[in-house]
Amino acid sequence: MKKKKNILSVLSPYAYITPISLILLTFVAGSLIIAVCFSFTKYNIITPAKFNGLFNYQKLLRDDKLKLCILNTVKITVMAVPLQMIASTVLAALIASRKDTFLGKFTKAALFIPVLSSSAVVGTVWKAILNGGHPAVSFLFGIFGIDPTMLLGSSTTAIITLSMIIVWKNMGYYMIITLSSLMSIPDNYYEAARSDGANSWDIFFRITLPLLKPTLILNTFLAIISSMQVFDIVYTMTGGGPSMSTTTMVMYAYQLTFKGGKAGYAMTVSNVLMLMVLVVVLFQQRFMRREASEI
Amino acid sequence: MTKKKLMSTLLCTSLVAALAAGCGGNGNGSGSEGGSGSKDDSGKTTLTMWLPPLDDDTENNFKPLLEDFEKENNCQVEIELIPWDTYEEKWSTAISAGEGPDIGYMYAEMYPTYISSGAVIDLTDMVDDADYDEYLYLDRGEMMGGLYGMPIVTGVPFVLYYNQDILDSIDETAPETWEDFARICEKATQDTDGDGKIDQYGYAVGLNSGDMSNLYMMNSYIYSLIWQAGGDIYADDLKSARFNDKNGAEAIEFFLSLKDYMPENLLSLSGQDAFSTVFGAGKAAFGVTRSSQSQETLFKESYPDLNWDYVTSLKNADYGTFGAADSLSIMSACENPELAMKLIKYICSSEFMTEYHKVAPGAPLTKSESYNGDPKMERIVSEDRDKWRPLQVGPCGSEILENLAAHIQSIMEGKMEVQEALDESAEFANDTLDEYWADNEE
Repeated sequence: MKKKKNILSVLSPYAYITPISLILLTFVAGSLIIAVCFSFTKYNIITPAKFNGLFNYQKLLRDDKLKLCILNTVKITVMAVPLQMIASTVLAALIASRKDTFLGKFTKAALFIPVLSSSAVVGTVWKAILNGGHPAVSFLFGIFGIDPTMLLGSSTTAIITLSMIIVWKNMGYYMIITLSSLMSIPDNYYEAARSDGANSWDIFFRITLPLLKPTLILNTFLAIISSMQVFDIVYTMTGGGPSMSTTTMVMYAYQLTFKGGKAGYAMTVSNVLMLMVLVVVLFQQRFMRREASEI
Repeated sequence: MTKKKLMSTLLCTSLVAALAAGCGGNGNGSGSEGGSGSKDDSGKTTLTMWLPPLDDDTENNFKPLLEDFEKENNCQVEIELIPWDTYEEKWSTAISAGEGPDIGYMYAEMYPTYISSGAVIDLTDMVDDADYDEYLYLDRGEMMGGLYGMPIVTGVPFVLYYNQDILDSIDETAPETWEDFARICEKATQDTDGDGKIDQYGYAVGLNSGDMSNLYMMNSYIYSLIWQAGGDIYADDLKSARFNDKNGAEAIEFFLSLKDYMPENLLSLSGQDAFSTVFGAGKAAFGVTRSSQSQETLFKESYPDLNWDYVTSLKNADYGTFGAADSLSIMSACENPELAMKLIKYICSSEFMTEYHKVAPGAPLTKSESYNGDPKMERIVSEDRDKWRPLQVGPCGSEILENLAAHIQSIMEGKMEVQEALDESAEFANDTLDEYWADNEE
């Protein structure tokens, strides 16, 4: 009886992790391995892949379109991530200070709606809003001297517009993570600070922000990875145009696969993206480890 | 506690089993659910056919019309409808997994990859002179040295619509040449309410590719001008691009010269938005969209106040506008190509199409079928039939044309000169073609 109990104790942890391990092995590790293998082939999805050595990687080095797509991806990341972080942190702090009021609850729910919406729907709706020429929208943008119908039509403004819409779509997600972290800060820290005469700014910058640091680091890296993988919003709003000014790396890989019949090369491009994400993840882990050791 | 652990272990095991079952094949991997021209236990052959939505209810419109054929040939036709937005993706992933149909609806841009990979069969030996005589557009299924499709949807080219009221107001009639067109565009572009802003345009153009691919822009505005200038996309041997020659440059220069008569936000608007919100709203003299044999009926619903007519094609060195010849093709994996061909001929026949076109008006595909669309649109398939043509099917088509479209956006944005952009785009096309032919001539 005791032996049976021991076997169960030994096996059960493995049984718990087996399903997720299988899923990860099949759909994450498996697809990574496949992508790496196919990147050394000429493959158009329809006919069997043919090994072509380092041809795709050599092509990568002289591919000007890829350089443009990397630049576009970096531009979106640089514009969207800081704004997402600032907006989500400020909103989380404001909502936390009014968490029990109707306004606080409503704002929290309202900000989360875009997160739940499909990116393709968000793209389509925003495109209709900007191009629709509705007087209210024109008036609102007109206050800042902007004609909304021109925003998606210029290489300069299209990528900024897309970045802002990505911020609008995702800030609710990071706000919720930050908010949950805020809620876990014990009230007695604030009470002690107040009794020592600290004002709201002091409390925010000397207590809230330092204690939120691990969460903010996590959010920042999640946002960077998410921005590097943008596809749906760009696809529906600009199709990568005008003049390829909004074509991201994922979109380029998609076009190579399904429009160009170059799945092998598309996987090479995807591997570059994977390496970029890997670098970000390594940085994140380093930051998190350093943060943990400081705590 | 032990019972609890036992239960959780069992649950985890069942989850793993379910996962394995979910990931596993169905034992019918290559059969496209009983398709591939295969016979079932009763000896009945099943033919699978993939179609995009061709009308409001394609499957139910096709099914009753196929009953006689099914009875006569002891077969069953299974229709699978695939949405337009995922059409190409579905095809490429399914073919690679060996799960394609027996018969499929394909359009020009799809063919090169499938032809060069041997995924579709050459129908040349399955048709004769009588077929060429009966099926009016059969020659438009010829591409890359063979006959790879039998046109099923054609006769709906992109044509130039004009607003009769605007033309009347500036004492103009329908344009015939580029000069007429440019002159009318200039005269029509006006500030009609005197607020200092242009509110009526010559030409409603939209070059944003967000909800359609860049190729829609090419279909609507660019091929027609290149052909009218006497140019084309590929050289005749399909080994190099020729859209950057004198004729191609002339076409794009002309398009650029019309920019002042287009909406300022032409790069934000999609082609369809430009047509519906600018031309359809009566704010432009001209607009381009795909024609339809029920255009009169459709426009009456969508734009009841619009007094419109159309010109199939302008003339410069030549006539020309893009009219797809989307076709039915037989896949190489089909086990009964003879029956599949018989089905294709039946679907395109007068017997089938006369009935089908009653619910979904379209151009007659055969000599025996009479025209039953809106009278106003009839001249497209009669006197103007030679003014429109399908796309020249060549290798790496989508890739080359998407790249050209992006360069045309650069020209219209003022970022590149016409010749510079065309040369750069042609260089990309030639490199791509060199790579293609190097592989295919090995």
